[in-house]
Parts: sequence; structure tokens; C-alpha cells
Amino acid sequence: MNQRAHATSVLAKRRILETLISPGYYVAQTIGLVLAYLLVAGFVRAVDSSGFNYTLNQAYELIGRSLVGAFGATFVEKLFSEGPFLFTLYIAFLPVLLYLAVSSVFRFGLEKKVGALELLTYGPADGTSYFLAALIKDILMTAIYLVVLLLFLFIAGLLNNLILGPSFYYSLVILFFLSIAIYAYGIFASSLTDNSASAIAVFLGLILFFIIIMMGSFTVVSGYVRNLASVLAWIIKWISPLFYWDLALRFVEMGNWGMYFIGVALLLLLSVVVLFISHLTIKTRGVRA
Amino acid sequence: MIQTRNLTKRYGSFTAVDTVNLNIPAGEIYGFLGPNGAGKTSTIMMLLGIVKPTAGEIRLFDEPYSSKRLDLRRRIGMVPEKHPVGMWTWMTAGEYLQMFAELFSLEEANRRIDHLLERVGLAEVKNKKFSEFSRGMLQKLSFVRALLHDPDILFLDEPISGLDPFGVKQIRDLILEENREGRTIFISSHILSEMEKVCQRVAIIFGGKLMAEDQMKSLLTTLAKDREIHVDLEELPAELIAKVKKLKFVQDAIGAEKTLIVKVPKTGDYRKELSKYLIDQNLVPLSIQEKSLSLEEAFVTITKENINLFAGIGGEK
Amino acid sequence: MKVLRISAALLLLLCAGVLFADVPVREEQFIYSILAFNGKDYAGTFARKDADTVYLVADVDNFLTVRNVFVYFWPITQDWKTDTSALNIPFEGTLELSGREAEAQMLGMIPYTYYNIRGEYELNWKVAKEAEAEAAWQHYQELMDAYWQSVSAYYEKRALYEKMLNELTVTITKLRDAGNDVTALIDTLKELKAPPEPQYPTEYIVPPVPIQKAFILNLPVGEYQIRFFTQDGKIMEGSERRIVVFEKRRAEAIGLEVIPGDKWTRPVESKTPSSVLYIDGSTDLYIRPFYQQEYNDLFYEKMRKNDAKGNPNLMKWVRIQQVPRARVEVTRQAAETRMVLEEPFYVEQAKGAALGYQIVPFDPEGKHKDREPSLQAFHIPVSKDQRVIRLRVQDKEGQYLPSSERQIRVITPSRIGIVSLILAACPLIAMIIVMVRRSRRYTS
Repeated sequence: MNQRAHATSVLAKRRILETLISPGYYVAQTIGLVLAYLLVAGFVRAVDSSGFNYTLNQAYELIGRSLVGAFGATFVEKLFSEGPFLFTLYIAFLPVLLYLAVSSVFRFGLEKKVGALELLTYGPADGTSYFLAALIKDILMTAIYLVVLLLFLFIAGLLNNLILGPSFYYSLVILFFLSIAIYAYGIFASSLTDNSASAIAVFLGLILFFIIIMMGSFTVVSGYVRNLASVLAWIIKWISPLFYWDLALRFVEMGNWGMYFIGVALLLLLSVVVLFISHLTIKTRGVRA
Repeated sequence: MIQTRNLTKRYGSFTAVDTVNLNIPAGEIYGFLGPNGAGKTSTIMMLLGIVKPTAGEIRLFDEPYSSKRLDLRRRIGMVPEKHPVGMWTWMTAGEYLQMFAELFSLEEANRRIDHLLERVGLAEVKNKKFSEFSRGMLQKLSFVRALLHDPDILFLDEPISGLDPFGVKQIRDLILEENREGRTIFISSHILSEMEKVCQRVAIIFGGKLMAEDQMKSLLTTLAKDREIHVDLEELPAELIAKVKKLKFVQDAIGAEKTLIVKVPKTGDYRKELSKYLIDQNLVPLSIQEKSLSLEEAFVTITKENINLFAGIGGEK
Repeated sequence: MKVLRISAALLLLLCAGVLFADVPVREEQFIYSILAFNGKDYAGTFARKDADTVYLVADVDNFLTVRNVFVYFWPITQDWKTDTSALNIPFEGTLELSGREAEAQMLGMIPYTYYNIRGEYELNWKVAKEAEAEAAWQHYQELMDAYWQSVSAYYEKRALYEKMLNELTVTITKLRDAGNDVTALIDTLKELKAPPEPQYPTEYIVPPVPIQKAFILNLPVGEYQIRFFTQDGKIMEGSERRIVVFEKRRAEAIGLEVIPGDKWTRPVESKTPSSVLYIDGSTDLYIRPFYQQEYNDLFYEKMRKNDAKGNPNLMKWVRIQQVPRARVEVTRQAAETRMVLEEPFYVEQAKGAALGYQIVPFDPEGKHKDREPSLQAFHIPVSKDQRVIRLRVQDKEGQYLPSSERQIRVITPSRIGIVSLILAACPLIAMIIVMVRRSRRYTS
């Protein structure tokens, strides 16, 4: 086996084991599942004789009004057209995604600073095998959580005669690949900086920037804000994982499966490109802080 | 075994290592001395392949060396100054070593780990989380990690820094033992007293330049230029010091309460002459002792002010 | 007394303040008055001076006029309105249209009328221009004249009938009271028939509007620019606008209007083809399937009302017209399947002091004689033990309509709290197990 691949696999096993014996991952999962429960339970309470009416539940009223105000009534209608699960998927996924992404970025910066990364590279490992190991760990933990979440929502659905609609499944798949791209950006931020604080600032700054541009071009607020966001979006979209996520979902709405999978493939390609740039960066900057 | 030619490292306009030439044969314990910031660590990092040289060439095992030469990197072990703080705290010592054994694809890894732990006296704590280890234990564990894959060259960066005297002795014994087994050992340190006890040859680096390189015995002889004679008197007349300074063999003299301290050349025994002089001055020496200038006192930290002392030793190669 | 006077003065001032506080500020503005086709009918909006873009559907006739009116912001509904009663000065001139072609076109104002003829699901709107408009209007006028004439004739005949009826009734009464045989007269009375009421012309759903003049824009998809030239050939300042012409992305999908039995005046719509309708099962449903088309949310909203907000990145389904003579296939619990037809229903208010109503089948011959049905819809009985009801719509030929499948699921609130919280805690339980096992590995 190629030496880098071997080193990656050895390090990945340790990272996976470390995550599985640490409380953080389980706590993040629990937070996600509790959020899922609250959202599903709230939805059930907001159903009357004519269907889902978000004004019937306080939490949903707040959510509904905020979303309508920001993105319009059509957005909210589509979000809940198949039930609560699409919205629940995104919200319940966030705690684990944030935990894995931020902890990996933090860890990378810390290990670089205290010399752990350097220590590993005294042997056959290098910076690239190090971050690939972290990525593999994050991908596996994400997949595990998505399966857990899927099971949880399926059971919650069974108990209340709710079903997981087609949009839920398409979004589940695309969310998995979106998370890989986000982890890749985390690695990129870590390879650029020398310590945890800077790495987290760069990473969160990048992700927030992508989110703001996306939301800005998506909002119903007219005039300057949206126009500016639209211009920026046109430039940024090629490197934003959210753009490819949105693209894939649009195609699935159209029933265009070929383009949906191309959207997924582009998301994966973006991840590969970002990882490759990270590899070059770490090779140039070295593993010492 | 280890050769460098015009090895240079620049960070922007700052030159950390400036045309360093080394030639270390196999089986030697080689000391690399210098004050903090002299370029020792940068040199080691280049020798390990962690940092890319700006210029120059490195040869290990008579072959050109770079970070891509994994086959050569597998024959090197490194003990850093400090174990990374807070890292892998969830692992036991055994699991930690197992990870490195796997990285090197070692066969019969468990046997090797047990053997090495036994050697350094850590066998009983194999299943203990090494976050609970003391500094000395961590350093020994680091040694074990570096020796796992049976390297031909061992790099040690400040191996005794921060250790207590017992720990220092343990590490020293370990170094000598490994050298007896044929390993080439490259030690970087600013503590000359320990280097004296283990190194066979030393190089001195300052400001990125290699100032000198010599056998340890020659180096000690050069360093120990002065000796002192301490004479305890009943009383120390004020004019005595000026008079003593005029003696031929006296380099300098000072008084400390009722003790006369006289600096004399390192060769020759001047106690008799001094004693005779003092008696002639109607003074009664209560005790007379010769003190060689302690290496620890003078050189426990090689400061920049002292570095010129070494400039004439051996010369640049 | 002095206090009283001061209080009265203050009260007067307060009233004046209240009186004048809410009067919106009206500003005289040049606007484009737009009569745009929105996929199902024509509706009016306007583009005021700050609106730089006009949105129109592609490949249909849309009408633009320019005028000076008062424009004001109405805070209660949070939108802009025109006050044409106080000021409404239309302008005559030409409209310069540029965009797709290399050269700009100059458009003149064209007389037109539009109307909707009765039919089934085709878009029955017709636009007639110039001579055709005159002819259509003339035809309509003649139709209405004939109708009103027949109405006059009817009233005359009705009056005669009632007079005869009255006279006959009086005569029969007198003769009967006098003990005479009135059988023949009664037979005559029975044979007396009221004159039939004239039928209102049913040729139109929306009759032709009086002929007006406007710039008619029937454009393919794209972006254009317009500006208005007055009759003396000068550009009207502030008349430059961008025109965004858009088209539907998808058409012929089916949506459902869902009328719950307990809120029949507040129907909801199920438009997204993959949507699931979750209900609590407390009442039956009445549904009406409709054709829908998909448009860009922002463009469509702004086409309907130029100041509206919308999401440029979303597509929305727009209801066009009810599916005529449809049939709904209803499947319950993957077992029985039956066809449901559209039926008339009547809403009966609860009698006495009780509040509420019930929806019952319309009985034109019985208790609902001489009344109109309250609604026509497809009745879907629902009960709480029916977990899933699947619907599918067929057209009049019996062909299944694409994207017309829907599921209705009756929510079964359960002890979700307990079970779900236990499930949500599973990761924590796993964590405890793992940490306990791990701690046993470490030597003390």
C-alpha cells in the first residue's frame, strides 16, 4: 500500500477511536436528536383539519414568520410541503456538523502549535496524511450520525403517521456531500494558519461569508442588499459549496436526475480541489507552527 | 553518516542557518551546541526533512537526502525537546507506541514495545494514560517511541531540558547505552555540562554560523583557561590585594570578606609560592584551596558574551 | 369655566391631530399603468417612478398606458396606491422598445378590447385589436341590446300575466262564493303559464371591456427597455424602464384546493406535486383539483403587483383553472379504490342558538329548492382510523393527470414525547457505556 495511504489509515483509526470514546460527539448527537424531536412534535401539534398551520404552535409561528419575512411565503410552503422532516433534517444536522468541523479545525491548529503534527512527521506520516485522516474521521462520523438521524426520524414518523418524503432523501444525500466540502474548507483554513484561534476565525469567516452571500441573493428584501449579494454571489458561487448544494436541489425539483448527480459530483470535485490546495499549502508552509 | 555542505536556511531576510558544513561519522555521539536562537533547531529540522533548506545539500547514509526519501527517514529517530502538551491524552503508553509501530509497519510490535519499555523502566505503566506521566517518564517514553523502528541515527533536541538530576542521569545512561549498540547520536543542547559527559565531538553554532567543531577533550581544555586559589586569612589587609596582583603568576586577585581569591594560569601549581608570599607578609593562611573554574558555573548557559571564547577553537571548516 | 375651555381646546386639537395624522401624502407622478396577463386572467398594476422594472409574461398580449396620477403609500396594507379620482391624465404618444433586435421599435397606441368566452380548460381569453375590437364590442353591444329588449318584453308579458291571473282569481272567488261551478275557470287558471325569463347571454365569462387605447406588448422571453415619446417627439423624463419578460417553467401540473368541513370558507391549496397533506382527521375534506403553472416567484409577484416582494431563486406554482369534469380516484389503506365525482353541496347553519354549520349534499328538489349550492367539490370522507388516503385525478377522458397524486395522512399523536426522548438519549447512553469500559483499561 502506498505509504501515505498507510499512514492515513493508521492515523484515521486513532482519530475515529478518539472521537468514539470522547463525550463531545455523543453530546452533539443528542442535541441534534432533541432538536429533531422538538421540531417533529411541534409540527404534529400545528396540524389541524386543513393541514399544517404554523400559527398553531408558538415555536413554529416564530420560525414560520421569520422565514416568511426573510425568504417569502413560497419558500416556507415548499419547505413544509412534505411535512416537517426537510426542515428538521437541516436543523438537526447542524450541531454534529458544527462540532465535527470546528473541533477538527481547532485540533489541527492546536496540534500544529504544540508540535504533535511535527512529531508524526518524524516518521512516515506527513501533513497530507494527517489531514486526510481527520477528514476520513469526520466523514465516517457524519455518515453514522445521518444514519442515526434517519432512523430516529423514521421511527418518529411511524409513531405519528408521518412519512419521509422524496425531498428529504435527496437532501440527505446532498447534505452528506456538502459536509465533506465544509470539512475540506476547515482543512484549508487550518493549513493557512498557525494556531487554532486563527484557523477557526478563518474557517468560520469563510463559511459565514458563503452563507451570507447565499442568503442575501435568496432573500425577498429588495433593492441594494439583494443586488449586491447577487453580484457577489455570481463571483463567489464557483467556490461556494452552498451554490452546488442549491444547484443539485433545483435539479431534483425539476426531476432532472442527471443534473442532480452532476451537482453532487461538482460538490465532490470542489472538495477535492480545496483539499489539493490544502496539500500544496501545507507542503509549502510546512507542519511547524 | 551525516554530511551537509553549505547548508543554509533563510526566512525572508533573516538567515537562520548560514552555510553549515557537517561531517558526522557513524557511531559517534555528536554534540551541537549554541545559545537559544543560534540555529540548532533549524539545522535539525532540515536534517529531519521537516524543513526544506534554502540552499545546500544533505547526505545521510552516503545518499542525497530530502523529505521524499522515506526509506532514509525510516532509519532516523527523533526525540523532541518536549512531548506535545495535551496531545493524545486519551491513549495509554502502550496504545501510543502501538500507533507509531503501526506507522512504521513493524512486525512483532508488541514484543518490541514491551522490550523497550522494560529497558527504560516503564513496563509497569504500559496501560496507564500517559497524560499522568511525569516529565521524566514522558521523555523516556519519547525515547522508546524514537527507538521503536530501530533507527541508525537518533536526533535528540535538548534531551535533558527541564529534568531533575535523576532524570538527567537516566537519559544520559540511555544515550550511552544506545551508542554502545552502534547508533549515531546527534544531540542539540545549550547545556555544556551534560554534553561534556556524553559527547565525543561537538560543534558550536552561533548566529546560524558554525563557529567551531572539535573533540570534547580539546574543547574542555580550551574552556578551562583559568584556575582560582582561595585563601582564608585571619584578616585581609586592604593593601594586600594590590601587592598580590603584582606577583608574576597572578592574573587577578579579589577579596571576599576574609578570603583572598587569586586567579592563576591553568597549568602549574602556585599554592606553595602564594603561601610563602603570604607568610612573608606576616599573614597566617587558615586554609588554601585550588578551584578549577567549574564548567557548570561558567558554561551552564552558553551566552552570547562567551561565544567569542570559542571562536578560536578548532576554527571553521 | 376656564379649565373647561382649555380642556375643550385640547380635545379639539387632539381630534384634529387624529383626523389629519393618517392622511397619506399624495404625490403627482408619471406612471405606467399595466394590464398584464397572469396566466389565468388580466389584472392591473402600475409602475411608479421608483420602480425601474416592469415584469410581463411572455408571448401574451399585455397592455401599457402612461398617465399622470396621484400616488400614495397606504400604511394599513403597506403598499402603494393610485388616486385616479383626483388626477388621471393619460398621455398620447409613442413607446420606444429596444432589446433583442438591433434597432429599436416605435410602438403606437392601439385600440383594443379583451374578453373571456365560455369554455373548458383552454385559456379562453381573447384580445381583439383595432377593427376586430370594434366588431367584438359591437357584437357584445348588440347581444346586450337584444337581451335588454327581451327583458323589457318579458316584463310586459309578466305584467299581463299577473293581471290575467289576478282577474281570474278574483272571478273564481266571486263565482264560488255565489255557489257557481268554477271548474272550467280553474282549468283555465292552471293552463295560464308565466312567461319565461330571458336568459342572460352566456357567450362570455368576462364580457368585452369598452374599447381603450394602449401600447400592446407581446414579447418573447428576454429583457427590454422602453421609453415614452410625447406627441411632439420629446422623451418624457423619467419614462425609462426595464422590461423583464418571463415564461412559465412547467405547466399542466395539478394542484388541489382543500376545503375542510369545519372551515369551508378558508380553503388551503396543495400545490407542490410531492406534497403530503397532514390532517388531524376531525372533519371531512372537499377538494377541487386545478391546473397550475410554474413561474419565478419574484417575477410573478412583481408582475401582479409591481411593488411586491418575491424570491428570485424560487419557482412557485400558480393556480390557473379548475380541471373540468374531473374524477378523483380515492384509495384507502391500499385496499378499496373508488371514483369520486364532483357534487354540489349546501352549507346548513345550525338551528337555534347553537353555532356552527354542516355541509350536506345539495337537494335541489327538496329542502334546497330555489337555492344555489354553496360549493361544488369532491367529497373525501375522513376518519381518524384511516391512516392514509391516496388521491389521483383523472380528466374527462379518464386519463390520469400527471403530478396529480396526493397522499392525505391522518396524524396520530402518540406518546412521541417519551419514546422520542428515550431515542434521543441513546447517544448519551452509548457514551456512558463506552466511557465506563474505557476507564477499566487504565491502570490506577
